[in-house]
Amino acid sequence: MTTLESPAVPAPAPAGRVAAATRAWRTLRSSRAAAIGLVIVAVHLLIALLAPVLTSYDPIANNASQALLGPSWEHLAGTDQYGRDVLARVLYGGRYALGVSLAATLLTMALGTVVGCAAALRGGWFDDVLMRVLDAVLSVPSILTLLVIVTALGTGSGVIVFAIGVVCVPQVIRVVRGAALAVVPADYVTAARARGEGTWSILRREVLPNITDVVCVEAAMRASWVVLLISSLSFLGFGADPPTPDWGLMVAENRTAITVVPMASLAPIIALATLVVGLNLAADGLSKAWGVDRIREGS
Amino acid sequence: MASASPASSTSGASTGSTASTASTASIVSVAGLSVAYRSGGREVPVVHEVSLEVAPGRTVALVGESGSGKSTVAATLLGHLRHGSRITGGSVRVDGKDVFALSAQELRRLRGGTVAMIAQNAGHALTPSMRIGRQIEEAGGDVPVVDLLEQVRLPRPAELARRYPHELSGGQQQRVAIAMAIAARPKVLVLDEPTTGLDVVTQRSVLDLIGALRDELGLAAVLVSHDLGVVAHMADEVTVLRSGRVVEAAPTHRLFAAPEDPYTRRLLASVPRLDDTGLAIVGDAGQREVRPKVEVPADAPVAVSARDVTIDYGSSRAVHGVSFDVRRGEVLALVGESGSGKSTLAWTLAGLRTPSGGTMAHDAGDLARPAQKRPLSLRRKVQLVFQNADMSLNPRRAVGDTVRRPLRFFGTASSRTEAATRARQLIADVRLDPALADRLPAQLSGGQRQRIGIARALAGEPDVLIADEITTALDVSVQADVLRLLDDLRRERQLACLFISHDLAVVRGIADRVVVLRHGVVVEEGPTEAVFAAPGHPYTRQLMAAALEPDPDAPPLAEPGPDWADAAEPDDMWTDHGDGHRVRRWRAVA
Repeated sequence: MTTLESPAVPAPAPAGRVAAATRAWRTLRSSRAAAIGLVIVAVHLLIALLAPVLTSYDPIANNASQALLGPSWEHLAGTDQYGRDVLARVLYGGRYALGVSLAATLLTMALGTVVGCAAALRGGWFDDVLMRVLDAVLSVPSILTLLVIVTALGTGSGVIVFAIGVVCVPQVIRVVRGAALAVVPADYVTAARARGEGTWSILRREVLPNITDVVCVEAAMRASWVVLLISSLSFLGFGADPPTPDWGLMVAENRTAITVVPMASLAPIIALATLVVGLNLAADGLSKAWGVDRIREGS
Repeated sequence: MASASPASSTSGASTGSTASTASTASIVSVAGLSVAYRSGGREVPVVHEVSLEVAPGRTVALVGESGSGKSTVAATLLGHLRHGSRITGGSVRVDGKDVFALSAQELRRLRGGTVAMIAQNAGHALTPSMRIGRQIEEAGGDVPVVDLLEQVRLPRPAELARRYPHELSGGQQQRVAIAMAIAARPKVLVLDEPTTGLDVVTQRSVLDLIGALRDELGLAAVLVSHDLGVVAHMADEVTVLRSGRVVEAAPTHRLFAAPEDPYTRRLLASVPRLDDTGLAIVGDAGQREVRPKVEVPADAPVAVSARDVTIDYGSSRAVHGVSFDVRRGEVLALVGESGSGKSTLAWTLAGLRTPSGGTMAHDAGDLARPAQKRPLSLRRKVQLVFQNADMSLNPRRAVGDTVRRPLRFFGTASSRTEAATRARQLIADVRLDPALADRLPAQLSGGQRQRIGIARALAGEPDVLIADEITTALDVSVQADVLRLLDDLRRERQLACLFISHDLAVVRGIADRVVVLRHGVVVEEGPTEAVFAAPGHPYTRQLMAAALEPDPDAPPLAEPGPDWADAAEPDDMWTDHGDGHRVRRWRAVA
């Protein structure tokens, strides 16, 4: 090498994973919205996990003598028409919503990411046919699709996760495909193709690491949608079965008594709202910090 | 002077008016300019006390390698600073006004009205959904659009004004950008790499146009370029920048004839010349020595043999019946303008496209099949190196990992530890420190990235290496290093190398044989020396005449040929000049 070559930056060489971790930490520190959002979500997760420690009441035990009480020191959020402690039901209620939402979001993201990347990578008729099928699915209102599936197959958690998948996967596919299309023409993907590597291996090694940002933001945003959808289903009576403590179900059960014990309806609404706001803050914060413009990515 | 050709006006001006420059009132005056940007809480200087004077009718070139701050200085003439940077000292005065003291409204009047810019990629600067005529109208000024288009030598201006940008070629788009720049009759032109990305022939005509307009309209011009050939051809004075500092400033003739600073000398010596018969080795003081090429042994085995290859894109044919052989240890150059089919041919050899006709044979199998259908033993034998090193490495993977992958994939290394050792060895083989293996591509310089690209290609132990414009995006000194590396490697490993380039000087230095392509047809082929000494086809001559040497007085290597038409018959295609040098039949047209 001649002396003309500009000297390389003598930066210490952090390995890829360490660099990614540092970057994630910096992102969190630089974006207050993302930090607040993630903290809210973490608090919800903790409450759901620690519910038995936080309250001594049984969320499903009826007690006719204690029905329809207002807030007091014994029942901080009052009781509902069956005499169940509202606070206990709200604390336990996160378990169903979070559990099913988490499962549904993970399934949706995994499926959507793989199919979206594959569509971008393969292109051609596969891409064309897939996109038209997705257009067809997306043209049906999501709550309608959910109701049809749940009516036909029953209301088990598994069925709900499946139904959410059917509704949300097409949207994830579109977003991920858009992001992957920007990576696919890069020469390192071409080099892998010239080596004759398989679609799966190109996807995992070359494409996915370069669209992690988009996938993370999409996951946070999709999760807030899923939480709302599942609560809507419960509210309509197609989600959790009574007497399971669930926020959507609680609102449906107590809305007739809203003038007598407003807290029985308000408490689950507050819980649901904070969770959704937390997830949205996290999604927005992350997308801004990572420079992912959701409008640009489509959907 | 207004009617003189640009070449003669350049030489006339710099001999005649060097002494009078100081007395002419300069229209652009940059004094002690320093620019810095903030990064991670500290100030990083990018430009350091740069001074510059440009008189009306004169051209000053800013020359330097990437990161030298030349574009930053040029942009300050329009009152523009990159986001996050600020002036830390000095002033920029254009037409008597301090640019950075102007109000927003005055600044708008300055841009376009007094100073106009012609940027590198005109195709991106034009609005795709707007007709050419309306875009030029928007640029302001009282000159009718048709007159402007005529002035930039575009044919049928009235009809052209109704077209959309995508209907024009790259050269025509650049001419439209020039028309927009001169629409409001500015006094100063800022030319930021105005011809980078254009073909040699188009580049030459665009430069001639800019030169002629400058003389016609009496414009002062500031030319930013890394191409010393362009600078020698256009500028009256040259300012050489390195890491934001002025290294040397001198009239063009003086600078190219007797560079004073060692850096300038090395820079000039690194540029490949059309009359070099091998690769130049540049010493620290800028002395150059041409390393003779090694003879390819006559009995070298043929690695790839292509016969009558045709390649189609849908219904249009990109390559028409091309035949060639590449032997082990030999560099075969494919030369031609963009659209000549040279890259298409390379990608087809690499298995990324399927030819529609003809045969491509290799010892290990048939190359006419796409990569997925080739046996592993064949895939690893034919490897590709890419033009743009920024895009050819996965930004999320350490470069060592990038090199390890093909080692494991092709089975050249059997275990994890062996792959790691071999990867470090390969990185050392491309003359890099193996410790770089843990770095990410963003932490390497352009030249280092291109070397990693070569190391990745070598991992499969190929016998054919396809190098697609691999030095185009590199600075001249780095380019010289990469070329020498490629030359060493083909000697050491007996690689058959298909070298694709539009730069004739580079081709002359490295190639053993040359194939000249035009619109997918071979018009001339033969040993490099024979073709350069006596180009037989008018198109080859046109290419050579358009090439610019880093020397304002260099005579063109070849006179442009006459107007011609193809005269090849199916049974009588070639005029043979002996020793494998043959020229496609043509006839002169009056």
